[in-house]
Amino acid sequence: MAEKTIQIEIKRQSGPDASSTWEKFEIPWKPGMNVISAMMEIAANPVNASGQETTPIAYDSNCLEEICGSCAMVINGKARMACSALVDKLEQPIRVQPLTKFPVVRDLAVDRSVLFENLKAVQAWVPVDGTYDLGSGPRVFPQQQEVAYPLSNCISCCCCMEVCPQFNDATGFVGAATIAQVKLFNSHPSGKVLKEERLRALAGDGGVQECGFAQNCVQACPKQLPLTEAISDITRDVTLQVAKDFLRA
Amino acid sequence: MATAARPDASQTSNPVGRGVEPLRAGKGNSFLLRKLHSLSGIVPIGAFLIEHLLSNFEALKGPLAYAEQVKFLNSLPLVRFLEVGLIFIPLAYHALYGVYIAMRGKANVIYYPWSGNWMYMMQRWTGYIAFVYIIQHVVRQRFMGVSLPEHPGAAFHKVQMELSNPWMLAVYVIAMIAVCWHFSYGIWLFAAKWGITPGANARRRFGYLCAVLGVVLAVMGLASIYAFVGPNYKNAPADVMPAQTMLYAPSSPGASLS
Repeated sequence: MAEKTIQIEIKRQSGPDASSTWEKFEIPWKPGMNVISAMMEIAANPVNASGQETTPIAYDSNCLEEICGSCAMVINGKARMACSALVDKLEQPIRVQPLTKFPVVRDLAVDRSVLFENLKAVQAWVPVDGTYDLGSGPRVFPQQQEVAYPLSNCISCCCCMEVCPQFNDATGFVGAATIAQVKLFNSHPSGKVLKEERLRALAGDGGVQECGFAQNCVQACPKQLPLTEAISDITRDVTLQVAKDFLRA
Repeated sequence: MATAARPDASQTSNPVGRGVEPLRAGKGNSFLLRKLHSLSGIVPIGAFLIEHLLSNFEALKGPLAYAEQVKFLNSLPLVRFLEVGLIFIPLAYHALYGVYIAMRGKANVIYYPWSGNWMYMMQRWTGYIAFVYIIQHVVRQRFMGVSLPEHPGAAFHKVQMELSNPWMLAVYVIAMIAVCWHFSYGIWLFAAKWGITPGANARRRFGYLCAVLGVVLAVMGLASIYAFVGPNYKNAPADVMPAQTMLYAPSSPGASLS
């Protein structure tokens, strides 16, 4: 009996400015395989389906348990985490390509620093630097924790941005992840000291107003963040902030 | 892994170097323009749409009732000011900025065929339909042919002539459905995007409400169209109140009591 194999097609690109091409692979099946482990098999024996020797696939990954956010890719047309994309549950040939809205570094590795820039632009942190003892932090009630915890689950994978029809070169939309982090840090008892600055930042070009409420973000989010709820809440807060600033000017 | 050099970010104004530009924190005025677009769709344009559909519904009572309604609207104080300030200008803004919004979005329903994504695309397509339809509707019904503000009695006949063309009738039916869809989903979007319905359940329930409103408005609109093309008022007279003009309102008995 012939050994069971899987068919996988990968969109490859040798560098940021190189042209892309699809390469087919046929690799031995193993129980419990996911897309990352399939690419590990390719790396162990870098030969494509037509028998030619090739290079191992370049990709980002780390934890392999859908918590680090590194391995977001477009798999069979859908943006998702490669580590939790189980081969047995995917239609073959499995077609894997890099996220389409982020500059390709090589093969499946993309540059997602736009999210980092966006998080910096809204100061998505608690401004405590630990240089002196502030005493114990303020009490966070369980009700507040219930709101904050789901938002803190964001793994910065950028799936919400990839699937968003408004996240593109024309709009420069900030994306759902950053808006959700604004809600998280604005609800934090120490983080809320920057609340007004974050809201004003989000009223800038590419801010919350660019959301078209297609709700793809909340469908695609691997960590089930309440993204549409966050966008709704934060847009209200931004609108009120803009109105207040106008009346106090 | 990650041996390739990162793109040089210093070459462009975009700090990421290439790809989607990051947030321009606190810069620009697109927030105000977008919120104005959103608000103008509800008030005054949405309010006008409801008025327009209610007025058209009078056509079901016949040419004279329809003429009375047209006459009433044109007798409102500062009516030409209202027409320009509350209809033409907001409508032009909503339409032009709406096209600008729609052209910058990149619909991806093929890859992500989810209901919200479908509605996102439908909102843009119904907007385009409304855009084209309303331009011809305003030009042909408001600015061409017999002027209805001066001759309200000619209103029924004018619309009936327009709808006697089966192609035009099809255009009106399609546009009626598209506009009612655009408005009712627009209300839903307004509530979601202004933070009135942040919760998923609240949005779902409000969605049912908006759907009912949209269906009611569309049915009312289609019924009005039927009044012009149906058997009840065939061959309406060219002017049902030829003696009256808006320049000299008829004195009514009892007016001297006030």
